[in-house]
Amino acid sequence: MSLYSQNGYGHMSYGGPSYTQTSGYYQPPAAPAPFYHVDPNTFRRDYASRLAELTINSRPIIQSLSMIAQEYTRFSEIVAQCLEAHIRRVPHWMKLPGLYLLDAISKNVFEPYAREFAPYVIPLFLEAYREVDQNTRSKMEEMLLTWRTGGANGKELFGVVPQVTIERGVWGGDSGQADPTSGFYSGSGQISKSQVLSELEFTLGQKERALQANPYDNVSQNHLNVLQQLRKLVEAGVSQDELRQILNQLRSFSQSTAPPPLAPAPTSTPASTSPSYNGSLYPRPYPPPASYSNQGPPPGFPVPTDRPSYLQQPKTEQVNITSLLPSSQLASSSPSAPVHSAAPISNITNLYNALLKAGVVSASATPTGAGETAKVDESKPEPVDLAKTTSREYRRTILSQKVKLSSAGITKTRPELIHFLYDRLPVQCKQCGIRFADNSVGKKEMQDHLDMHFRQNRKASQNTGRGHSRSWFIGVDDWIHDVSVDVKGKGRTDGHRPLNAKAAAAAMIAKRDAELRALYVVVPPGDEAKPVSCPICKETIKSEFLEDDEDWVWKNATKKDDRIYHATCHAEAVASTNNLLAARLRNELASGSRGGTPEVHSSRSTPPKHGVRSSHSPSPQSKPGGTKRKVENEDASLNAEADGSPPMKKLALES
Amino acid sequence: MENEKKTDSREWELDAETEYRFELDPGTSLAIKLVQGQAEVFGTELAEGKQYLFGSECKASVFTWQGCVLEISHPSTEYVSEETPMATYANLHIAFEQMRVRALNAVHGSPNSDDDSDANAEPPRVLVLGPENSGKTTVCKILTNYAVRAGQDWSPLLVNVDTSEGGWSCPGAISAAPVHSPLPTCSPANPLGSAATSAPTALSSNALLPLVYWYGHTETKRNPLLLDRLIRNLGDNVREKYDADPEGRASGIIVDTPSSFASSSSSSSSSDHRHTLIKSCVDAFGINVILVVGHEKLNVEMQRTYGSRLSVVKIPKSGGVVELDHSYRERVHNYQLRTYMYGQVIEAPPGISSATLGGETMTDLVLSPSSVVIGFDDLTIYRIGEESMAPSSALPIGGTRILSEMQPVLIDPAQSGSGLLNAVLALLAPLNPNDSERYDEEILDLNVTGFLIITSLDIQSRKMTILAPNQGSFAGRTAVVGSFEWQDQ
Ligand SMILES: [Zn+2]
Ligand SMILES: [Zn+2]
Repeated sequence: MSLYSQNGYGHMSYGGPSYTQTSGYYQPPAAPAPFYHVDPNTFRRDYASRLAELTINSRPIIQSLSMIAQEYTRFSEIVAQCLEAHIRRVPHWMKLPGLYLLDAISKNVFEPYAREFAPYVIPLFLEAYREVDQNTRSKMEEMLLTWRTGGANGKELFGVVPQVTIERGVWGGDSGQADPTSGFYSGSGQISKSQVLSELEFTLGQKERALQANPYDNVSQNHLNVLQQLRKLVEAGVSQDELRQILNQLRSFSQSTAPPPLAPAPTSTPASTSPSYNGSLYPRPYPPPASYSNQGPPPGFPVPTDRPSYLQQPKTEQVNITSLLPSSQLASSSPSAPVHSAAPISNITNLYNALLKAGVVSASATPTGAGETAKVDESKPEPVDLAKTTSREYRRTILSQKVKLSSAGITKTRPELIHFLYDRLPVQCKQCGIRFADNSVGKKEMQDHLDMHFRQNRKASQNTGRGHSRSWFIGVDDWIHDVSVDVKGKGRTDGHRPLNAKAAAAAMIAKRDAELRALYVVVPPGDEAKPVSCPICKETIKSEFLEDDEDWVWKNATKKDDRIYHATCHAEAVASTNNLLAARLRNELASGSRGGTPEVHSSRSTPPKHGVRSSHSPSPQSKPGGTKRKVENEDASLNAEADGSPPMKKLALES
Repeated sequence: MENEKKTDSREWELDAETEYRFELDPGTSLAIKLVQGQAEVFGTELAEGKQYLFGSECKASVFTWQGCVLEISHPSTEYVSEETPMATYANLHIAFEQMRVRALNAVHGSPNSDDDSDANAEPPRVLVLGPENSGKTTVCKILTNYAVRAGQDWSPLLVNVDTSEGGWSCPGAISAAPVHSPLPTCSPANPLGSAATSAPTALSSNALLPLVYWYGHTETKRNPLLLDRLIRNLGDNVREKYDADPEGRASGIIVDTPSSFASSSSSSSSSDHRHTLIKSCVDAFGINVILVVGHEKLNVEMQRTYGSRLSVVKIPKSGGVVELDHSYRERVHNYQLRTYMYGQVIEAPPGISSATLGGETMTDLVLSPSSVVIGFDDLTIYRIGEESMAPSSALPIGGTRILSEMQPVLIDPAQSGSGLLNAVLALLAPLNPNDSERYDEEILDLNVTGFLIITSLDIQSRKMTILAPNQGSFAGRTAVVGSFEWQDQ
């Protein structure tokens, strides 16, 4: 730990002494004082458990994890594995902090970490990118842009191929064929609006920070204005050609104005090319490129040609990025001579002027023409639509898989299919491992699921010492007309996962109970102050003022023979005298018991014969003209609310 | 800080797409904890940091797609294998998902997004065939679990016609249950999750509601006519269920079969009966996919018979499938009956205080059956077919055997040698109350309400003691005895 504390590490510097100009490239500390003796397994467990704490964008946690990685470079492979597993496993809202950590470690301790991460950074980044929300995406795009020059000597942090591939995955472009020689500056291929916009945002961010540092910088102020105009223009919609022009200008502009990487110093100002962590900025951890020149060529940066395994030493290859650039950019992109060149500025101004002349953009900075209607439509979908959309999306993805149902067709390994089982449903119940989608619908389902665990646990603790027993098997009619269908409603995607018939029956009882409780009797004028108690339970019936009707009423009340009863008490009493079953069902469900006489009735191929009105309840009640009817006939007022009649067929099951 | 490890537990680091396999000796148990990464047992994902308990001579494996670290208390036999058929099973799952999606799209009248528009819109109704020890049940379980894990609210219907296994009830039964959540693994007594109890359960897979019919024997050749009839009864009800629920139908059906369906016996009569029974399944459940687990000859045979009208797909068997001998199967039957009555009880290994057992807390699955004394006349007991039957082949063609094989024979408990002591009885659902619908063999078509054991017979006072899973009166009820006995040791 002393390694860091003496540097005032905590705030800014990642580097410590090893980043000084004279020591050149990062070297592992000569003799890191281990704060505990570790073997790989212990380290793995320890690091993984610390990683598990990285659930929010916490600067201290990212710093400390980065520090540990720096100290234990001999376990870099383990760090890489843990970090990959962590980012893959966590739900989408936790991905960004993990990626920030990856970003921080590979920039700070470039060797060996960038090399460790390079093999998996492409799928990791792109998969995360696909899952996260728009806001996180733009943060990831910002980070991705810093990776262009985040590596040694201002090169791509993870190499040209990963950089190009990820950028294409994010912004489109030449589909699929990652051709490292074309680089990401290649003018060929489609340029998407979102790509240009995110690069614009990036450059704007740089400018804004520059302006904050130096509020009287007129040049920066001017650039900012031009860039904002451009953003409006692009948002409104411009042609492919114009997008390409803007992008090219933007890149040269941004490259030339990016300040050189800073030497680590506790007092250094935030560098513009690092993504922000939790609002504040990370320092540029690299020694200025100049320091390399004294040392000869910097260590080679790996350009993985394939996906090397962790153990494989990737092929080392020098790529001179400048040779890939259009000649106009050569002067400004040389890392050893960062100049605030005037050329790009005039370029961008020229472009703007040209567009202005062409009438694409008006002097008032409001885009004209067809662009007006091309507003980006990103209205938030309603949860129901979201559920529909996600399940439609799922169906489309499933149908797009090329799997042939034949002995040969199913033997081809397609490990990405695992996506459907794990990554697509990142929200996992810690109790039982069941997964849910990471959207509002999934969260609702997860909440219901956790509530279920809670109720079950509570029931289990209440039931301790009470004997449980195997239930009698379900009858044919109940089995065929699975009650769970009843509560499920129309769509299968409404997120209601029926637990079992018991839960479904409980839901019906609850509904009926709510209906009873909603009943009220208007208090006769003058009786407001008179306490009335329920003849059955002897408790006072609560009165309440109904705003709408401007009446005092007794809640959960019903009037019988001039006496006021609790609606629930009365219903139960009627049921218990005339039909023991309903009350028993209520009690059974309340206690979670399923005991009783095995009267599961088999009346297969026999249509319902007697009058239970619930359409879902073909009654298997054994005695024709069951007592249920009697209840209804005798008690007209109960009749109305008994419409959601107790699930008689469940009675048979439960009793 | 030197590593402090629990006395008996070990850590295993698994590479991607490998599995840790274990076999337990009688009376031992095992606890597995997922320390890091992702892992699944027969398609059911493990939650990280939870101790999962296994017992009753369980033989299972923990598979990982992307690598994981497990902490394991000592088992009897263990090793890690890199050879697994999981990639194939995953592909199968995707193929079945496509069928489900198309079927659901057809229900909703929405078009399919892919260009394969001529693909039919039937959900997967899969018959899994394979010889003994080929892991048929495991395949069924994995495919079912993957379906419910898709997050699409699928609830595939899992059908067990393997009479030697018994699914959710007792050996000798066939049954079907819709599955809504992953099926846990903890013991061979509950290979497919657990039938509902009065105990609260967290997983709906431990509160399954199967429809059960009673065949009563392990061997399918003992009374193939009866089995054929029961399979068709089950199929009729499945059809009726899905007529009422077209969306539910889209989840499909997975049917586990007895190994005798695959055994190539030289005797032509046994070959006849297995072909008849395979055909009963194909007809009853509208099978459109036959999976043949690791058996080339059977694959060819099925291709020839069914290849023109449904998909016959050969799949590899897992190298982890263990040869199970007869005495092991007997012990498993014993575990199953005990579990049916008393619930799942597994002692945790030393040092493990809290663990989950099949997804539930350890004590949740303990059950108390009830013991009642009833009069001989309270319960009507039948045996299906005559006690000692000559094999069908010994009869002249068109002989009267059919009648006698399906004939309910009344058993008098008072008769010495009734064979009822310790017998497993299937308590049938009540007879149809409508007298006009009565028919001779009605009891063959009645489903099972529960299982009973006659634990003592008092011929003098004409009373018997019955162990029942639950309380209740049996007066006027009917039960059928098969060839299983069980003694509460
Ligand atoms: Zn859960
Ligand atoms: Zn009351």
